[in-house]
Amino acid sequence: MAMSQDAHTVKQFDVQLANLRSLVLEMGGLVEKQIENAIQALNDENLTAAREVIARDHVINGLQVKSDEDSVNLIALRQPLGSDLRMVMSLSNITTDLERIGDGAKKIARMTIQIYEGVGSPPSARLLRDIMPMSKLAIEMLHNSLDALARLNTEKALQVTKRDGDLDEEFQAALRRLMTYMMEDSRTIGHAINVIFAVKALERIGDHCKNIAEHIVYMVEGKNIRHRNIDTRRDVAAQDTLEK
Amino acid sequence: MNKPTSAASAPAILNRDIKTIVNAGLKRRHAAETRFRWYGLIAVSLGLLFVVLMFGNIISKGYPAFWQTYIQLPIKFDPAVIDPQGSRDPKTLESADYAALVRAGMRQMFPKVEGRLELRALYGLVSSNAALELQSRVLQNPALIGAEQEIWLLASADVDTLVKGNIDRSLDETERPIKDNQVGWVDKLKAAGKIEKQFNTILFSSGDSREPEMAGIRGALMGSFYTLLVTFLLSFPIGVATAVYLEEFAPKNRWTDIIEVNINNLAAVPSIVFGLLGLAVFINFFGLPRSAPLVGGLVLSLMTLPVIIIAGRAALTSVPPSIREAALGMGASKLQMVGHHVLPLAMPGMLTGSIIGMARALGESAPLLMIGMVAFIVDVPKGLMDPATVLPVQVYLWSDLPERAFVERTSAAIMVLLAFMILMNGLAILLRKRFERRW
Amino acid sequence: MSTTTLETQTALNGALNIGAETRSSQPGILVTDYNNRQTVGKITVDHPKMICREVNVYYGAKQALKNVGLDIGINEVVAFIGPSGCGKSTFLRCLNRMNDTITGCRVTGQIKLDSDDIYDKSIDVVQLRARIGMVFQKPNPFPKSIYENVAYGPRIHGMVNTKAELDDLVRASLERAGLLKEVATRMEEPGTSLSGGQQQRLCIARAIAVNPEVILMDEPCSALDPIATAKIEELIDELRESYTIVIVTHSMQQAARVSQRTAYFHLGDLIEVGETDQVFTNPKHKLTEDYITGRFG
Repeated sequence: MAMSQDAHTVKQFDVQLANLRSLVLEMGGLVEKQIENAIQALNDENLTAAREVIARDHVINGLQVKSDEDSVNLIALRQPLGSDLRMVMSLSNITTDLERIGDGAKKIARMTIQIYEGVGSPPSARLLRDIMPMSKLAIEMLHNSLDALARLNTEKALQVTKRDGDLDEEFQAALRRLMTYMMEDSRTIGHAINVIFAVKALERIGDHCKNIAEHIVYMVEGKNIRHRNIDTRRDVAAQDTLEK
Repeated sequence: MNKPTSAASAPAILNRDIKTIVNAGLKRRHAAETRFRWYGLIAVSLGLLFVVLMFGNIISKGYPAFWQTYIQLPIKFDPAVIDPQGSRDPKTLESADYAALVRAGMRQMFPKVEGRLELRALYGLVSSNAALELQSRVLQNPALIGAEQEIWLLASADVDTLVKGNIDRSLDETERPIKDNQVGWVDKLKAAGKIEKQFNTILFSSGDSREPEMAGIRGALMGSFYTLLVTFLLSFPIGVATAVYLEEFAPKNRWTDIIEVNINNLAAVPSIVFGLLGLAVFINFFGLPRSAPLVGGLVLSLMTLPVIIIAGRAALTSVPPSIREAALGMGASKLQMVGHHVLPLAMPGMLTGSIIGMARALGESAPLLMIGMVAFIVDVPKGLMDPATVLPVQVYLWSDLPERAFVERTSAAIMVLLAFMILMNGLAILLRKRFERRW
Repeated sequence: MSTTTLETQTALNGALNIGAETRSSQPGILVTDYNNRQTVGKITVDHPKMICREVNVYYGAKQALKNVGLDIGINEVVAFIGPSGCGKSTFLRCLNRMNDTITGCRVTGQIKLDSDDIYDKSIDVVQLRARIGMVFQKPNPFPKSIYENVAYGPRIHGMVNTKAELDDLVRASLERAGLLKEVATRMEEPGTSLSGGQQQRLCIARAIAVNPEVILMDEPCSALDPIATAKIEELIDELRESYTIVIVTHSMQQAARVSQRTAYFHLGDLIEVGETDQVFTNPKHKLTEDYITGRFG
């Protein structure tokens, strides 16, 4: 059963649901910006920008608290059922994932500061070269999942879940490379560890994006595709669409 | 926030100040209300006025009938008159000339009166009932013979009327039922304290009579009782059974519709038509005796049945359907549902309806005229087949008689009739209040 | 949880000779096809107490229920939901033939209690209603004493022989209805003197006194406050162990709380039936979705 687009008999219900969704989308936009900024700061070796990213994390946290309150209110006052219930629960879960993604951005920013603030020499470009493609992939996943949320598009959400595998492979490759660097030259170990934290954060962001996408599928289709084999996901998701 | 706030789309009238608009018409509305209240008050007081007039008229006329004038005479139970042989044989005692004793007593009171006409006028002061009174006393207690006693004896109706002040003394002697000399004797008796008004037990203990002072309503009362007994025993079970069948069991179709319409019509049929029917069917066809309470009861049953059926059905419909559903849901059969739950709940309503129907039957006279219950019947009926009359018919009979004393008796009978009506309606209200269930 | 295999369904359907229950074009959705209308979800259960097939109800010329097919499983609570006039109460009343009392009401199709067709001529409606008890929307105790209310059923059906047996039965029924403590000292007071919630529990006690197999409840809590409602709901949950319960309710929360399966009716059609949690979180039919989410026109 796809989401019904008809209005509720109680108009205020619609307004509250729409507000909650736009709050989550706003939060998503902010998180996306945070990651972009964190990566940009790393790229530009801009410590001020990195500090700004860290400082801005509490805004995201505040939005999460606000959306939690709104969800609880909706459940208490409107007793949502069916697709409404799925939407409220999914949005609530999505905000958790978004908040974690925000934390990921903060980690990258902190790493930037650690790498460039220290007295030692900056890391070679070799060490950092995995970060850019991975971050690009992670940002794309986040962007697509938010897009899927805005449009309630399961197709797009399913695509996001598939990209997570790519990101995982990138992460494994990056780890292997970084390990080789560390074995070649033990002086790089300090930087390499920081970079490992960064790519790990990016990998986690990808996981959270996948979660968001899965929540969207559940919200729209009512089917839980989490913890399933990628190949069966589409089937499971598609099973439930009936001619309306 | 979603309130339709667009004043532009609302009709212009809504933009005007509602307070002034309402205030403008307020005075007129209040005036209309006050006027209406007055109409109601006037109607109610007019109705009350007529009720008071009617009751006042009846009571003021009928009240004296409950008191009867008695004359105290010295009576000597002369053995030579009553029982010359001294056998004390009840037969002899019964057939003795007690009137002679009364006459002797009168002569003793007024020794100076002479001449046949004068004496007859003197004897006329006492009712012919006086001799019967003495006879019954002697029969009860033969030891009285030989004794001499002051005894209160019933005065004649004319004396009674005179004493009650209903005869104009200024009229010429020839236009009065009572002559000058009689008036003189009455005055003398009064002065001597030998005339007294006592409570009228005869009214309640004896049947009809040509002599007003001896006429009572007991016969009519018993007639009414037997008639209503028959009516109740017939119409209540049949009426309740009909109501239950029509309301609970009968399928709703054209036939039951026709029956329903006819029952309603029957309730509106003039009662005299039922009398004609009774005459044709019960007396002429079945050969039942005329004037019998049985026939009267049958006729009144016909008249009361539709009332009971209609009241019964109303009582049944007022039993909430939830009770029926509860019983049926428990697996009760239809008869069990009706018998255990619906009928007990409807019974007070049915009884109320029946009592009101019976009260109507009690006041009915027209159909009974048709079946001969209008005859002059002296004996108090002792059963359903004895000739009898009923209270309203007795009222009708007495109201036709010329004697002044019957006027007050007519009103007295009406008062008794009304008292029974009020009693029955009161019982109906009591039953309703007592057993009315709130669920 | 009923996890009927497709084979048993087919076997059942074959035996009852009804419209085929099929999987729709999309895999995974069970749809029972009745002429022009489909019931979404599985109408059959593993251990049915009652089996209804192609039930149509007409009030005069008006069709109030169209081709409804549904199984009611042993010891389960089935909730009927839907907007007013959707036929849920009508269907409920078909199950113990309470519709018989309505003039002009005609029922076609087949309703079986165990193996007996309840509309068969050989089935006496009195016996049927002893087997299928009913609790109504408005608490409707008889205007008699509390004791008499509960004793009525056993009495008319001749279930007990002695006064002591009857006493025991009355007390046991009141106990099961959770009312005994409250009324133990006032058995002779009229049933109507109790509070609304107590009256309704008295009605339930009255219904279970004859030990029915199925209890039908027609909006049993609609006239009660939330606390009384909660007590009744708790009671329903307890009674489920011994009885099969069908409840009509306007409160979706109530249906969600007390039932294992939920059926949604709309304009005389059985639109959707399924496990209660599924119906309330992920209804398959748009009409069900619109109704439970409050989008119903």
